[in-house]
Amino acid sequence: MKFGLFYELQLPRPYDASTWDPDAERRIYHEMLEQVELADRLGFDYVFEVEHHFLEEYSHSSAPELVMAALSQRTRNIRLSHGIVLTPPPYNHPARVAERIAALDLLSGGRVEFGTGESGSAMEMGGFHVERGLKKAMWEEATREVCNMMVCDPYGGFEGEFFSMPARNVIPKPIQKPHPPLWVACSRRETTMVAARLGMGSLGFGFETPEETGERVAEYWRLVREECFPIGHAINPALAVLNTFMVADTDEEAISRSAGGPGFFAYSLGYYYNPRTGGAHQPARENLYRRYRDLPQAEQDGRVTLEQARLLSREQIAKDEPTDEVQRALFRAARAGSAIGTVDTIRQNIKRYEEAHLDVLILVAQCGDRKHEHIMESIERFGTEVLPEFKERHGTHTAWRREQLEGVEHLVNSTI
Amino acid sequence: MAGKLDRVRDEALRARLAEAHQHLRQQQPTDAVRVVSDAFLSMLCQRPELLRKSVQMRNGLTIPLVMRWPMLGANLVPESVEAGTPRIDFVRDRFVLSEAITYYEFTVDTAIAEEF
Repeated sequence: MKFGLFYELQLPRPYDASTWDPDAERRIYHEMLEQVELADRLGFDYVFEVEHHFLEEYSHSSAPELVMAALSQRTRNIRLSHGIVLTPPPYNHPARVAERIAALDLLSGGRVEFGTGESGSAMEMGGFHVERGLKKAMWEEATREVCNMMVCDPYGGFEGEFFSMPARNVIPKPIQKPHPPLWVACSRRETTMVAARLGMGSLGFGFETPEETGERVAEYWRLVREECFPIGHAINPALAVLNTFMVADTDEEAISRSAGGPGFFAYSLGYYYNPRTGGAHQPARENLYRRYRDLPQAEQDGRVTLEQARLLSREQIAKDEPTDEVQRALFRAARAGSAIGTVDTIRQNIKRYEEAHLDVLILVAQCGDRKHEHIMESIERFGTEVLPEFKERHGTHTAWRREQLEGVEHLVNSTI
Repeated sequence: MAGKLDRVRDEALRARLAEAHQHLRQQQPTDAVRVVSDAFLSMLCQRPELLRKSVQMRNGLTIPLVMRWPMLGANLVPESVEAGTPRIDFVRDRFVLSEAITYYEFTVDTAIAEEF
């Protein structure tokens, strides 16, 4: 199993002010660069960065290609992964996407992973005039054509339902041939099966438990072998899932350091992706962090622990749980396979993903009001005390993947 | 092989879904969406209690099962659900593969979960 870091570039507003410190956005961008530089030195495999627009506090990452370009010059080995590029044409013209992906691939020496998706927030779709019912069709049409543009010399032009352009040679071309590995964001279970059938890696953004991951693995690989119609010119069979992440000397300290991270992540995600609240958002007039913090403590804790528990059902959560608050949080985190705790706790929890044949565990460190120094310490300790043993065992997983791919005739360009 | 489709026990429904699956394999997504939509409506007609059933989401909240039906152009009409006579309106003539797969996977998973 390989490991990545995940960035929304979250920036909660100060509780007692209507806007941020003038230096706040610069600070989180530069902190991210530092964190990823450290992760690169320690042998983390991937960094994934989102593209979102207008989602104040939840994500200030609207130009990931620029951050990735900066990282390409500050890192040596880590894979620079778009998690994801919004490919419906109203967000990004397909030719511009192909050009940017290829240019980044050149700058980084062939380290790009091309994650794609469509987003579903009212703020973004409304801002770019994307009709909700058409976004998946737009994504598919544009993603297929971006792949063609990176390969065809010249690109023969296209007359589609959502964009058209005449024949042009779209340059530059990427180093990785035929193009960088393809992924798609999967927040619904069905989309993982779309990924398999289109020969794409599945970026599981739903915080799945190891058991849920295990249930998907067999069907995903069966579809790759038997029913795959690649959207690109090579397939990237791979499953990745998100996991919350914080390391400390004790489990209790890790929970404490982590508390305002996943809780705020879940709250702001729910706010923007619920059409009733996200659709009524007043730009630059809301303070989501204050709303979150003003929730009754029990509800805040509930959100935190639900998120740490990867959103297990209430019945599941209630069963066999300790009554002590801290012990209950740890119990839930363990059941969910969470990467929050001491290195021993984390090692034990995430090994279950490895046993489920997960390809990439993507760790969400930067979120909510977590502190940069705690994130750096977590990356350092995970990189030195946990990562090496998983790297040693990765050969076993590679052999398992070879077995899964037996008989597959499509070209494979996966970096797992 | 149709994979998990074998877990659908209702023969008529399984045959309908197998037909949709065949359309997927032949890259005929629009036909697949039409057949899957019929299959889903037949499930709702056979078991009207599903119109009022709620399912638990991963965040612990519950929403009506029918609200999880994808709204990608083959749209379940809310008023028809409230009236107990579910209807799907096709607001587009053509569907792409990813849309058809989404409808197919949702319907097969629902059929299995509801023990058809």
